Amino acid sequence: MNEILQANNLCKKYTVNNIEKEILKNVNLTINEGEFVSVMGPSGSGKSTLLYNISGMDKMSEGEVVFDGIQLNELSESKQSEIRLNKMGFVFQQNNLLKNLGIIDNIILSAYIAKNSPKEAINKKAEDLMKKTGIFDLAHNDITQVSGGQLQRTAICRALINDPIILFGDEPTGALNSKAASNIMDILHSINEEGTTIMLVTHDIKVASQSERVIFMLDGIIKGEYKLSKFDKNKNNIKKRESELSKWLLEMGF
Amino acid sequence: MIFKILKRDLLRKKIITIAVFIFIMLSAMLMASGTNMIINLLNSLDYIFEKASAPHFTQSHTGDFNQDIIDEWSTKNNLIKSRQTIEMINISGSNLYINSNLSEKHSIIDNGFVKQSKEFDYLLNLDNNIIKVTKGEIAVPIHYMQNKDLKIGDTIRIQNNNNEISFIITDFVRDVQMNPSIISSKRFVVNTTDFNTLKDNFGDSEYLISFQLKDINTLKEFRNQYSQSNLPQKGPTIDIQILRLMNSLTDGLIAAVIILISILLCVISLLCLRFIILLTLEEDYREIGVMKAIGISPSKIRNIYLSKYFILAITAAFTGYLLSLFVNSLFMDNIMLYIGKTPLSYFELLLPSAASFLIALIVILFSLFVLKRFKKVSAVEAIRMGSSGGIYSNNDKLALYKNKTINSNIFLGLRDVVLRFKTYIILFLVFILCTFIIIVPLNFLNTIQSPEFIKYMGVGKSDIILDLRNTQQMQKQFENIIAYLKNDPDVTKYAPYITGKYEIINQEGTAESLFVTTGNFDIFPIDYVNGKAPSEKNEMALSYLSANELEKNVGDSIVLIANGKKQNLILSGIYQDITNGGKTAKANINPDYDKAVWYNINFNVDSNIPDKVNEYNSTFDNIKVTDIEGYINQTVSNIIEQLQLLTITAILIAIFITILITLLFLKMLTAKDMSQIAVMKSIGIPLRDIKIQYITKALFILNLGIIVGTILSNTLGEGLLSLLLSVLGAKNIQFIINPLQAYILSPIFLILIVTVTTLLSINSIEDYNIEDINVE
Repeated sequence: MNEILQANNLCKKYTVNNIEKEILKNVNLTINEGEFVSVMGPSGSGKSTLLYNISGMDKMSEGEVVFDGIQLNELSESKQSEIRLNKMGFVFQQNNLLKNLGIIDNIILSAYIAKNSPKEAINKKAEDLMKKTGIFDLAHNDITQVSGGQLQRTAICRALINDPIILFGDEPTGALNSKAASNIMDILHSINEEGTTIMLVTHDIKVASQSERVIFMLDGIIKGEYKLSKFDKNKNNIKKRESELSKWLLEMGF
Repeated sequence: MIFKILKRDLLRKKIITIAVFIFIMLSAMLMASGTNMIINLLNSLDYIFEKASAPHFTQSHTGDFNQDIIDEWSTKNNLIKSRQTIEMINISGSNLYINSNLSEKHSIIDNGFVKQSKEFDYLLNLDNNIIKVTKGEIAVPIHYMQNKDLKIGDTIRIQNNNNEISFIITDFVRDVQMNPSIISSKRFVVNTTDFNTLKDNFGDSEYLISFQLKDINTLKEFRNQYSQSNLPQKGPTIDIQILRLMNSLTDGLIAAVIILISILLCVISLLCLRFIILLTLEEDYREIGVMKAIGISPSKIRNIYLSKYFILAITAAFTGYLLSLFVNSLFMDNIMLYIGKTPLSYFELLLPSAASFLIALIVILFSLFVLKRFKKVSAVEAIRMGSSGGIYSNNDKLALYKNKTINSNIFLGLRDVVLRFKTYIILFLVFILCTFIIIVPLNFLNTIQSPEFIKYMGVGKSDIILDLRNTQQMQKQFENIIAYLKNDPDVTKYAPYITGKYEIINQEGTAESLFVTTGNFDIFPIDYVNGKAPSEKNEMALSYLSANELEKNVGDSIVLIANGKKQNLILSGIYQDITNGGKTAKANINPDYDKAVWYNINFNVDSNIPDKVNEYNSTFDNIKVTDIEGYINQTVSNIIEQLQLLTITAILIAIFITILITLLFLKMLTAKDMSQIAVMKSIGIPLRDIKIQYITKALFILNLGIIVGTILSNTLGEGLLSLLLSVLGAKNIQFIINPLQAYILSPIFLILIVTVTTLLSINSIEDYNIEDINVE
């Protein structure tokens, strides 16, 4: 399998009140094309910071990140934006949709800015994505008029509008009830099956157990990783995967 | 909790709170200084008028007269307290050298040389004492001291082909009659011996026949009695009311402008304050809801916030007042120099402080008014939603997916302004204001400098205007010039006009003197507000102010006393005229040469105009020949100079306000939109694109402001100016607009300023990060 993302000796330090805090300590990580990876760890372990740094949203203190053959940390901020816009998708815990735009406008915005296709084609694609995620009827609604799960599906549509190579999720189901969370995970699996690499940050074992590799972080370092088989809702016993993962995490000190 | 809320509020809105503090402070400072200036001006005027024993009525006269007749008439008149005739030698500018080897031949000032007055109308020095000079010494008008940087010991030389006399400056003259910069005559004081030398060798005499009355309230009655008498009247008259007005005009106008700027700054601080309060309401929506939920009454919640604005307003106003004590001298320099200073009065201490605290009071009351919105916060909604929800309005008609043509960033910028227009109202109003304060003075300056302005001066438009006055044997010279004109092959047409002082019967049935110009008004026609030029022998036209004062309309009859006989004339038209105090008339009657005060000839040539102007200036003595622009320039040069200064000041103020408000507003707007910006950045929308959205917002508002501001300038501004100038005699000013300046350069200039300021203000968005809003 081809490597899609590689982080080498990644460090991130913050200075707060003249005290330096090291959030990421020499992190080395590889994500392969088509993989479904979860990063787990307790609050403050650095998992979200890792996601922000490998995607170029935040500036790393030391180390390097190679994404799709390009050394990300060598690029200017605008070039990094361009890569995020065209090759990466993001779904956050607090959906982070733009409050001044409606559902469909939130989805198409990044495609309109990227200008990779004609506007008509972008609109058509947004409609297809909305149909696929079950929010087509809400296309012209305001974001204050729909539920949390529907907003998260909007965020997924937005993340997919530019056909990203990788989709990053920062606790994408964290603010949802179990039914809505299950729906979101189903959508993510179907995207993954179509070839999009997925990397999630989560502290939910139920979510992590549905990925094929789980990375465990503690105090800014990767303590270990656990491989699972490719998830299939119909074939796999979810409970069994969860208990398998729980056992490993316990050993890791989670 | 209360302290915590206020502290956080202050820290979060540091920049705009400081800006509001500065605006209130400056507003209070200028209000205090303006008030102080007016009080000082009025006090000092009273003081100098008393010290100089100002005349109540003065008639200027050129030509021969008999003093005995004046004495006899005055003795019989029981309104008069004292009388005095001052002889003044008018020295031509080409013979006068003021501490320089270059003469004053290009100056438009009439320089009169006098002896110190004996009875009243004293010429004072800078200590407000009566000037005394010995032989060889001279006291020079303050005007020259200021403009030529003269010092005691400098010299004045008067020289013609045959004689030369030099003086050493020993003092400077404060002159209640001729101090003001808008009066183009100035008086020098010399010793009796030197005066006699000047009289024998240089210039012509002019006489100032002055009176002081027993009771100032009888001034109007006295003025009528004088105008009906057979006493000398070849020249303008002036009375104490006009003198007070003239002396207070320059400084009074400056004080008015200072107070106006203060009000402007106060309005801006109120707009900023409204912005802060609404932003606070949005940010603290949940906290306000919680406070309401736990039973704190809305008025108590309002008072928590009000206390902040109360302290802000009071401290800023007090600091402003303290600052005014330091800057007062800056504004008072002109008054101190021209009028002098009087001892401190209670008013001077009390009123300026009251004025600055009035600003604080306005700010507090306004805050109270805006804070009423806190009442509307619903506790349940605030706790549940955490925001008022309605801040970001959405509209599917303006949805991005429907936009097929406009660039997406520009569309998003425009859309935001349309949907959140209330948020941008402060910026919109400031841009309108700035456009207005640039365009109105600019258009007025352009109008007054245009040859078309002649139509507000009661003069027809011609290539050249010749002016003859203040000389002996004017009539003979006038006839010589006409003879010369007739033989000049370059002259295509000409029209001579004779202006004399005639009596007219006013609405009360008494005679009143008025400058009436006689001649043919069809050769060089002027515009009439109503009616037409007097073409028949029984017709007459009045200037706007004369018609107003006499309460006459077109078609009414007017009784004029000419050549000793009463003549019934019909008012044929009303025209605008800002010259001679705005009170003039035109009639097609036979001129009375005995009443002639000045002569004009308008003529057109088919040769080079400047050459022709030079030819006539060098051929004839004691005349002023100018082209039309030169004529306007000479007549209104003071207004043009002050207007140029005002225009530059207005442009600088507009730039300052534009930069400051754009900077503050965009800092606040981007801070408010922080989460939106961070989200856009996180999903890969480049900074450049986000910046384009903000520049679009600022420029869209600016362009709307420019359009509305320009329309208002050309309607309301023109109207305001007409109202202002109707006092001087022009009630219907139409802007002569330079489209390049008003419609192209000014907007481009503002667009450049706003674009650069916006780019600088939104630089901080580079630091906005999704991590800051995504708290784990």
